Amino acid sequence: MATIEEFNLKLKDQQRPLVVDFWAPWCMPCRAMEPTLKRVEQQYEGTVDVWRVNADEAPEVMKALKIYGIPTTAAYRDGQEVARRTGALPQAELEGLFEAALTGEKPLRKGLSANERILRLVAGLLLVAFGWAAGPSWVLLALGGVIIFSGVYDRCPLWQAVAPRVAKLFQGASQ
Amino acid sequence: MSFVNEASWDRIVRVVLGIVLLYLGWAGVVTGGWGTFFKFVGFVPLLTGLVGFCPLYTLLKFRTNKTG
Repeated sequence: MATIEEFNLKLKDQQRPLVVDFWAPWCMPCRAMEPTLKRVEQQYEGTVDVWRVNADEAPEVMKALKIYGIPTTAAYRDGQEVARRTGALPQAELEGLFEAALTGEKPLRKGLSANERILRLVAGLLLVAFGWAAGPSWVLLALGGVIIFSGVYDRCPLWQAVAPRVAKLFQGASQ
Repeated sequence: MSFVNEASWDRIVRVVLGIVLLYLGWAGVVTGGWGTFFKFVGFVPLLTGLVGFCPLYTLLKFRTNKTG
């Protein structure tokens, strides 16, 4: 699938709803998202197909589709793109894309809203600033750091890679 | 989110109040009994403001967020 003609031809023949993952081997966020994508792929097995397009091997496709960042995940239904997201996505957003491919409707954004994110980031930054001005006060600095992280955790590739493993550990311990 | 029972203005007021109280307590601006009080009580408005949920509102069957 190195050319856009090949991509479009294959897309035309595609019967089922489709999600396309544009990735590259050197891309760390792509690698971080891969286990989550595989999990969601298994959930939708038999209803939504998944293609993986290596950006390094298909620069023409990337240019033609105007994809300027990876990982980019796009949902297609009846040969038409219905939704697209760039960045390492959490499970909820990936599920939203799979649902978009199934229904043809734009996915609802899950997770933190923009206002929620801004509130947490501003509060965290203020605490860090006050903590630094106060001597520093390690309690305020640590609290500010935790609150800042709570505003971006769903975008953090490291967290996405670690969180399912930690959850599994807790599940294992509780059984 | 349906559990959110605080309006945006309410949440901002709580977060600002929490930050001010924590700063007064942990930076040593206020010392003694009040300082210790602010050190811990400051967490309450900060956390309830960040989460958007006030348990006291639930007990009093009150909410400032009318959209939920």
